[in-house]
Amino acid sequence: MMLKETSRKNAVHIMLVYTGGCNGCDIEVVNAVLSPFYDLEQYKVMLTWNPREADILAVTGPVTKKIAPALKEIYDAIPEPKLVAAIGACATVGGPYANLGGDLGSSDQIIGGVEKVIPVDAKLPGCPPRPEDILQVVASVIPLLAEKR
Amino acid sequence: MADTDRKDRAEYEVPLGIVHSALLEPFRTRLFVDDETVVDAEITYDSAHRGIERIMEGMPVQKGLIITERICGICSHIHLWNGTRMVEQGLGIEVPQRAHHIRVIGNELERIHSHLLFLGHAFEILGHETFSMRCFMLREPVQNILFFLSGNRVHYTISVIGGIRPRADIDKEKRRTLLGMLNSLEEGCKNFANRALKDSLIVSRIKEIGYLSKDDAVKYGALGPNLRASGVCEDVRTRVSEYSNFDFDIIVYDGGAVLDRVACRVFEVLESIKIIRQALETLPDEEPMNVDFEIGEMGFSTSYNEAARGEIYDSCALDESGRIKNYINRTPSMSSISAMEVSCIGDHLTDASLIIASCDPCLTCTNRITVVDENKGREYVLGPDEIRSMTRRRRI
Repeated sequence: MMLKETSRKNAVHIMLVYTGGCNGCDIEVVNAVLSPFYDLEQYKVMLTWNPREADILAVTGPVTKKIAPALKEIYDAIPEPKLVAAIGACATVGGPYANLGGDLGSSDQIIGGVEKVIPVDAKLPGCPPRPEDILQVVASVIPLLAEKR
Repeated sequence: MADTDRKDRAEYEVPLGIVHSALLEPFRTRLFVDDETVVDAEITYDSAHRGIERIMEGMPVQKGLIITERICGICSHIHLWNGTRMVEQGLGIEVPQRAHHIRVIGNELERIHSHLLFLGHAFEILGHETFSMRCFMLREPVQNILFFLSGNRVHYTISVIGGIRPRADIDKEKRRTLLGMLNSLEEGCKNFANRALKDSLIVSRIKEIGYLSKDDAVKYGALGPNLRASGVCEDVRTRVSEYSNFDFDIIVYDGGAVLDRVACRVFEVLESIKIIRQALETLPDEEPMNVDFEIGEMGFSTSYNEAARGEIYDSCALDESGRIKNYINRTPSMSSISAMEVSCIGDHLTDASLIIASCDPCLTCTNRITVVDENKGREYVLGPDEIRSMTRRRRI
């Protein structure tokens, strides 16, 4: 138990999935984790592109219909325990695309927030959220990961 | 393009993620190879369609234009500026010179951070982590400048119809700070340009791959730095009246290879800094906003401008109550895709992802690359990790 907790705390992998947003949030996440300025890697949080390796799934952008099956597949491929963080206004509530279609009904292209496709554990609003906020949300999510086991 | 539906070919497909560490967006590239040489390429992109032009239909123009900014998180200012510019031209609204200067500053800062992001990605794909990290480190001050200027790091919302948003105005104190920030940025960029383009290892790796001839560049509609790196002296900024007060050079390279595209962008960063400094130094002292206008019916109006990746085009009409009709937006990457496909042809398979990245696609990423071997008649999909390790292992 101890070993598992320790190892989990010491190697958290984030997988970033872009589901049709504007790129702003993606670049801010990459900026927060990878770039040497904010450098989340110093806290042993790594960016990965392999769902099998990931602990946290970070989703940015409103989910388009085309990409929703892929997102579900990625979510299923991540081993338990896993957490999902919706990053940015679009991923949390749908952003400017939330009321798309308005009175006319739903959109042909966009499903909406990530919640409508996969369960979400953490939400970070902002258009886009600042890297400092991303650091904070990741820091607040890591204890959840240890509890989840 | 090659016949992709040949019956005699067995297809194997390994499903791999949608995300690529180098370019974040989802698009699919199919490379048709003969042995290990690329004979044809095909890029498909449709996963990120959001229907932005449809959302804007019937919206009040002030509200609708803010959504244009959400088209792209890299070149957000130019979309908004070009949209506002189009409406201003269509309705004959006068804009103070001060607002023009601040809009130009926004656009050039955006060009710098876009090019530095491109360089960071290109060097990462190349496997040169040090240069990649240096580019990201250089980019951070630019983001800070934009944050200081407008209050947001990505969606700055500098232009509004008639002028600029008051938060983005530059007072004396702000101007002094900005000039100081600019000096240290210029020093960093110059050091980097010297170091990167004189590095024999980097240069020998990228100098003879991804050739796009002048004729092909024109024929397949390459735009912006991709076109200028193929020897065509074409920059929309020379025809945009806002830029007529500033003195800057158009960087043109004749080579058409990956090296030329990289070098072109490196030096464009320095030119952009030059423009920003001129704009800050000659900033007129006046109200940055003209509120004396009425929005009403407008005929079909168009506007062209130079984004970081090339020519951008917006057009729309307004009805009597100022609501948007038929908004059209054409971004530069849309036009450059075929040029990317062409520049891969004739090169080694391992260079393909680098060549596509060197054309700076702003839509989505090489999430998976399908390789079709023309002789053996089989098709397989490579994941981002495989492609990247292939690129890094390549011997010169």
